Amino acid sequence: MQQSYNSDPLLIVEKLTLKTSGSSTSKTILRDVGIDLRRGEILGLIGESGAGKSSLGYAVLGLLSPGIERSAGSIVFDGEHLEAMTEQTRAGIRGRRIAAIFQDHGASLDPLMTVGAQIAETVRAAGTKVSRRQARQRAIELMARVGIPEPETRYGHHPHQFSGGQRQRLVIAIALAGNPQIIVADEPTSALDATVQKQVLTLLRSLVDETGVSIMLVTHDMGVIADITDRVVVMRQGRVVEQGETAAILDAPADPYTRTLLAAVPRLRLSMLPPPDGSMVCAEPPFEAVLRVDKVGKTFAGHGLSWITSGYRRSALSDVTVSLQRGAITGIVGESGSGKSTLGRIIAGLETASDGTLDLLGQRFDISQSGRRSGLLGEIQMIFQDPSASLNPRISVSDTLHEAVRFGARGSTGDSLSILSMMDRLGLARSLLAHHPHQLSGGQKQRVCIARALLTRPAIIVADEPTSALDVSVQAEIVTLLKETVAEQHVSMLFISHDLALVQALCQSIYVLKDGVVEDQGDPGFIFSRSQNPYTRSLIEARPARFTH
Amino acid sequence: MTTTIIGRLSQAFLLLLAMSIIGFAGIHSVGNPVFNIVNVETATPEDIRRATIALGLDQPLWQQYFLFLGNVVSGNFGTSYIYHLPAFRLVMSKLPATFELAAIAMLIAAPSGVLLGLLAGRRKDTLLDRTILNSSVFALSVPSFWLSMLLIMVGAVMTGWFPSGGRGETVALFGVTWSFLTASGLAHLALPALALAIPNIALIARLTRSGTVEVEAQDFTRFCQAKGLSPRRILFRHTLPNISVPIVTIIGMQFGGMLAFAVVVESIFNWPGIGKLLIDSIQLLDRPVVMATLTFVAVAFVGLNALVDIFYAVLDPRTRRSA
Amino acid sequence: MKTETLWAFWKRPATYRVTLPKLMAVAYVLLAILASVIAPQNPYDPLQIFAWEASSPPGTVSGGGYLYLLGTDGLGRDILSTVFYGLRISLFVAVTSTVLAALIGMSLGVIAAYLGRWADALIMRIVDLQLSLPTMLVALIAIVTLGPGVDRIILALVIVQWAAYARVTRGVAMSEASKAYLDAARLLRLPPWRIIFRHLLPNSIAPAITLIPIELGHAVALEATLSFLGLGVPIDKPSLGSAVANGFQYLMTGQYWISLFPGLALFGLIASINFVGEDVRRRFDPRSL
Repeated sequence: MQQSYNSDPLLIVEKLTLKTSGSSTSKTILRDVGIDLRRGEILGLIGESGAGKSSLGYAVLGLLSPGIERSAGSIVFDGEHLEAMTEQTRAGIRGRRIAAIFQDHGASLDPLMTVGAQIAETVRAAGTKVSRRQARQRAIELMARVGIPEPETRYGHHPHQFSGGQRQRLVIAIALAGNPQIIVADEPTSALDATVQKQVLTLLRSLVDETGVSIMLVTHDMGVIADITDRVVVMRQGRVVEQGETAAILDAPADPYTRTLLAAVPRLRLSMLPPPDGSMVCAEPPFEAVLRVDKVGKTFAGHGLSWITSGYRRSALSDVTVSLQRGAITGIVGESGSGKSTLGRIIAGLETASDGTLDLLGQRFDISQSGRRSGLLGEIQMIFQDPSASLNPRISVSDTLHEAVRFGARGSTGDSLSILSMMDRLGLARSLLAHHPHQLSGGQKQRVCIARALLTRPAIIVADEPTSALDVSVQAEIVTLLKETVAEQHVSMLFISHDLALVQALCQSIYVLKDGVVEDQGDPGFIFSRSQNPYTRSLIEARPARFTH
Repeated sequence: MTTTIIGRLSQAFLLLLAMSIIGFAGIHSVGNPVFNIVNVETATPEDIRRATIALGLDQPLWQQYFLFLGNVVSGNFGTSYIYHLPAFRLVMSKLPATFELAAIAMLIAAPSGVLLGLLAGRRKDTLLDRTILNSSVFALSVPSFWLSMLLIMVGAVMTGWFPSGGRGETVALFGVTWSFLTASGLAHLALPALALAIPNIALIARLTRSGTVEVEAQDFTRFCQAKGLSPRRILFRHTLPNISVPIVTIIGMQFGGMLAFAVVVESIFNWPGIGKLLIDSIQLLDRPVVMATLTFVAVAFVGLNALVDIFYAVLDPRTRRSA
Repeated sequence: MKTETLWAFWKRPATYRVTLPKLMAVAYVLLAILASVIAPQNPYDPLQIFAWEASSPPGTVSGGGYLYLLGTDGLGRDILSTVFYGLRISLFVAVTSTVLAALIGMSLGVIAAYLGRWADALIMRIVDLQLSLPTMLVALIAIVTLGPGVDRIILALVIVQWAAYARVTRGVAMSEASKAYLDAARLLRLPPWRIIFRHLLPNSIAPAITLIPIELGHAVALEATLSFLGLGVPIDKPSLGSAVANGFQYLMTGQYWISLFPGLALFGLIASINFVGEDVRRRFDPRSL
């Protein structure tokens, strides 16, 4: 803060403390936070959930949620104290001098108004004496600037007619409409796929370089920080842990918490290093397929009145062929909508397929029938993305695990003893048995889910994004645990993820899925260094360069 | 868009078809329709056989159903035992009175309900909000028949300001008689319209309130603030259009509901509409008229609902198909 | 569904407040149960009724020695006693039908959600059909078809009410059924009945349970309305609705007490139930109100 810098700070936050109102149960959201934002820079605010980074952004906007109040500190914008202003003066600054971009691009736009009108009204609200025609002209220019093709035609369209990435571009256009000096961007890309995220971030960077606007970027993603911020503020539990030049902090984090955060970020290796431990062993023996799905296809009929819209069918998967090697982890990588989860659910017998065959341990199952009928259901277990949704909130850990042993176990191997030893092996304290899911942490819940799956002694476990709902530091523990589990328990695993680095770290064989089709496949060495597939390349390039070696 | 409308209309059609089956079953469960036309006391077996053939009751069940369907479609519900008029024509002749009453009641209820709801929703958790909410619970708790009686007691018996029943003077317009065009008619309309309006004011106010609260809690309202729009503009250009979608639905549904609930208010205020006709006919066991009335109200209600849904689709761009 | 689960609701530290509506609702239930003990007269017993004391205004002292606190009706029955006995019939009909409707509706809703396909389509089309019609219309159609009698009224009210529970429960159960814990249960090859009743049902009924007080209020009002119209409970066992109807003809002659007091009792009953219902709904779903 005291460091000398050639440019004056545009915004200075000093000793800001925010508390929830209500005298007896008042909680501190921010404590003694001091940051500054300079002209023409992107300042990143990073931290895990509950760090208070979003509240800081909203405090700058003057849009704190009801029930949160400033109890100390000041926010000085261009020499003026924001906290001392009347709500009216404050409103005059919003949109004109300080603008915002929110995370949920779907909810930020009024669904009933055309996007052009929403940009134009912001233009008119910000400037004085702007005619309708001028506002329209400016709105079209802004749409063109943020990269909406054919802006004149698209002016009259409603928000639902745009894709997620385009909607976020429109939100950026609205933020730009008042020629602001500061844009507060709250997780502007976390609802977007990696490739789209990259494009939106590039747009933000070019806007800063062109117009000299300053951006305060709130995120939980170290990759976003590394990609476009000039300086970074690391926050934890309402306090600033560390701040400085982004490059300096990434290279030499001073605070242990920053080091943990950085260490937990999965890294992608592009240079041909020796493969990670363990996979050497698996690479040697001849390929023995424990499961093979052949030419699987799945189409969804259109919703609603099928007899009117029967022409409309959507294909979720077509001609997908995948084999799993015994005792290995096979990865499926794809963005949202690629059909990777559908494939996992078909393999587990939870969904039916329209075409294709499935062979498990030499036995063929009819996947056009429900899993219960074909007998496939229960042969394979799953670990799901959201551990809170994976456990019945009304049933204790003990009951959940006993149910798995009593109904799910293959052979008569299960008893209370095996539950206890399983918990020991997975690092779950025995005292947790009497707990209900809401009393467990995210990592503990996911461990219970893994225990439930393993107790039935399945040949295969399908893990569908098992770490993406967890905080970064917990993610690493679960990844390690999964790796050990596969090695110890003689199971094979299908690991579904959108994260290339995770797949690289875990899998011995990888399939890249796009729009329901296998685009690319091979071992990690091939996929990450030799594959010439353009889609695979674009996925790799969308990753933050900082965490790709 | 067209798909939505076709879809909604065919849905309404299927609904009516389903109801006709229920109605058909209902008629047969009530008793042998033969006894509607022959005198039970004096009829010989020969009379009954002839009546059975005349009504088509000797035909297979599915043919009887189509016969019934044909009668319903052509508005042929038989002749009233009491008035000796075709039942359907009788219902139609009572329709203007009911329509008039429901329309006036809605003209009172919709604006005041929306206004109260907006006031409460905009000032959530204030004294005003709680007062409006609590009053609405009271208003919805008064059984409509007792509310009507209280209105008669206060407005007619104790003060003598308004007549306690009947339609008053009527004037013919477009070949139909109306009350609302004469002073006496309006005075007669006042109490029953109020009785019908009060619960609806409460209902519309509550739904408008929750709509307002919901829309204002959405991200785009907050984003509009961040855009620097004035509170006035946010209210009129963003909040209101978004609330209006559910409100229009509710008003349409309630208008249909009034046609059905008018039975109570009409019987108490002696208002000669279809509601009173229905209750009288049930009590007098005038089965053709009961069937005709119930069928008519059901069809009117389903039709009205379909219209509201179509209007909804026009109002909300998300249900329109992109060009 | 952000609705708070029943489980969490019961586990919450005691935030239970005694409010006037709750006290009133409890008082009404007690009066209904104890009607025959505390009522000064049995209005169904002709030996206790004196025809020459018909239409006495409130406060008249009876020849039998007791006070007609609220007056007598056109047949000489004590209004206060009629209110107590009427309350008993009204509550009995409303509570029975609401409980039956809730049980039937919730079960069918969960079953529709779990079975899907044709069972779901069949159940939900009937629900849609019913909910698209005004309750009054459904009730009238049911009454016209079923005929009079206490059991028929209860049946008619069940027919009117079950659909709302089924729709709400089915909606929640559908979203619960798509959650991973249900997939996990299926992967354990649990028998269907165990999945439905141990996993799906307990997690799906909370919003439907919050409907119960509101629907109970509706049931009281609907039964009263039907009885008022002469289509409800038979004359010899008058509910509050028929007691009000009984006084309607005397209203014009200024004998207001015959219909006013039963009506006031009815209004108080419905209002206290509705306020309790409002309170319950607010606790479970803080967003809605």
